[in-house]
Amino acid sequence: MNQPPPPSSPPPPSPAAASGAQIVDRGFQRYDGPRAGVGQAIRSVSWQSIRSTLGLGRPARHKIFPVLAIAIAYVPAITFVGLSVIVGDILDPNEIADYAGYYGFITAAILLFAGLVAPEVLVGDRRNGMLAMYLSTPLKRSTYLVAKVVAVLLTLALVTLGPPLLLLIGYTFENAGPDGPGDWLVVLLRIFMSAFAVCGALTAVSMAAASLTDRRAFASIGVVLLALASPAVASALVEGAELSPNWRLIDVFSMPFELVFRIFGEPGNFPELSTLSVVAVNLGWTLGGIVVVVWRYSRLVVAR
Amino acid sequence: MVDPSSDVPCDAVQMSAIIETSDLVMEFPSTRALDGLDVRVPSGVTGLVGANGAGKTTLISLVLGLLQPTSGTVRVLGLDPSIDGPRLRAMIGYGPERNVLPDDMQAYDFVRHFAQVRGLPHDEARSRASDSLYLVGLGEERFRALGTMSTGQRQRVKLAQAIAADPSLIVLDEPTDGLDPVQRDEMLGIIVDVNRKFGIDVMLSSHVLEEVERICDHVVALDAGRLVAQGSMTELAGALGGVEVELVDLADLPGSIDAVERQLLDRGVVVRRLDFSLSVSGATDDELFNAVVGAVASAGARVKTLGRRRRTLDDVFTSDIVASGQPEGAS
Repeated sequence: MNQPPPPSSPPPPSPAAASGAQIVDRGFQRYDGPRAGVGQAIRSVSWQSIRSTLGLGRPARHKIFPVLAIAIAYVPAITFVGLSVIVGDILDPNEIADYAGYYGFITAAILLFAGLVAPEVLVGDRRNGMLAMYLSTPLKRSTYLVAKVVAVLLTLALVTLGPPLLLLIGYTFENAGPDGPGDWLVVLLRIFMSAFAVCGALTAVSMAAASLTDRRAFASIGVVLLALASPAVASALVEGAELSPNWRLIDVFSMPFELVFRIFGEPGNFPELSTLSVVAVNLGWTLGGIVVVVWRYSRLVVAR
Repeated sequence: MVDPSSDVPCDAVQMSAIIETSDLVMEFPSTRALDGLDVRVPSGVTGLVGANGAGKTTLISLVLGLLQPTSGTVRVLGLDPSIDGPRLRAMIGYGPERNVLPDDMQAYDFVRHFAQVRGLPHDEARSRASDSLYLVGLGEERFRALGTMSTGQRQRVKLAQAIAADPSLIVLDEPTDGLDPVQRDEMLGIIVDVNRKFGIDVMLSSHVLEEVERICDHVVALDAGRLVAQGSMTELAGALGGVEVELVDLADLPGSIDAVERQLLDRGVVVRRLDFSLSVSGATDDELFNAVVGAVASAGARVKTLGRRRRTLDDVFTSDIVASGQPEGAS
């Protein structure tokens, strides 16, 4: 007759215990693990803002505008690379579109994006109370603005940096790119500098406009009007009223692109302007925009 | 609460107040929202009560460091929000009153995003977003767009994002606003669970005194930017506040209730009448019972109910303090 095991003897291990498996309660529990700092908060807000602007994770109607703008920006680059593949033997692709001149084909896309992105990124948070939500986290006003600037810069870079890079890569594969690794790196550096110059000025100006109104449409219209009106006013002053060519510098929309030509060592559309004045006016617009945004947000009363 | 007789150092005793303000003043260009506020909020569930414009939201904004006080000091979890704001806010969850939820976003994405912004690593934020939504009863709905959710569900999402990063304190601004009675009961139950089961301190603002009375351990009552009462619920609303008698309106004796009221007033006690009920105070309970029985017998009235009257938060707020016009601290 088999004896029952003594009460003190341990039960035989179950297959699960033997394999090291355990049942874990996945319900809500306290958390005592590591916590990330403000850097992660900035990255998270930037990424969320970019997603929202591009319509990612949102219904299709929110994707139409960004897709349209991106298409306008990339279609010429794809076309030029295609041309270099097809007729590259008989035609130098750089004669069709060089890196500095490429922006001339995509000013509409850049204008659309500049008018859309910053208001989308900034105005909504102020209107719907999300700003107070963000400021109830480890973010301060300054770090919140850094997150938003990064979001606008990266989103604008989609249309200012991506297409010239595509052009460089396409031309390189077709042996129509810069000669040698040294030249290639110089062109790459110039592309990055150009994109940063255009993004910087337009980000600052569009964010300044977006910080001054709680109406997204007003901010977008303001940016577009500024971009369209300032070249017209500059032309009227220089060509109509025959004032100094330096009055061209008030043209907030053309000056970033003029700087791109100077970065590539070309005379640009307004050779009568000195490179120093073009650099200075772009810096001025960028810093001016930043000052307006910081001033506006430092005075903003955010309660709840 | 810290036992004063224990050997806990003085600093630690000070820390037992999760929120402490001293002579706190907040002025806006057109108004003084808070006027010399001295508040001490201990651990537990604390109700911040007051009518619209009392200063509840301003106090919450100061606690979160969204506003800088005109004068006075605020300390939250031992830190000054105006100096240690980011560090402090990493320990606080906040549920706003306003409907701030983006319509296009899924509840899960929203909660996960704010968990990350509050410092949780990516993978942890993902799992805790789900756990938080399950806790508030939205586990099966977590991938729905916020714009398609009911008011009650959106309030739960706000609570879920407030707790997802495992804060030490959550501050909820009118968390039951817009909810029907059933939803309100459920929300209050979840809030109590968050405190009792997980030890997360809660401060919630509300203008519904009854719900504060039901779930809060402590109360801070504000009126026009001034403190009118603060203390534990037992201290403020648990005391016996006299005798309450409900009389039958007799068709054959139409003036009987008026007669009872008159006789009680003649005896020098305080009488408050609401339809057929009389709340009587101003003497010891035995004296009040004798006075009521005598007045009822004398007037020939018929009693429906008679009993000791429990002092409610409504009494504390509206009658005892506001009517006197003398702000006071009850503790």
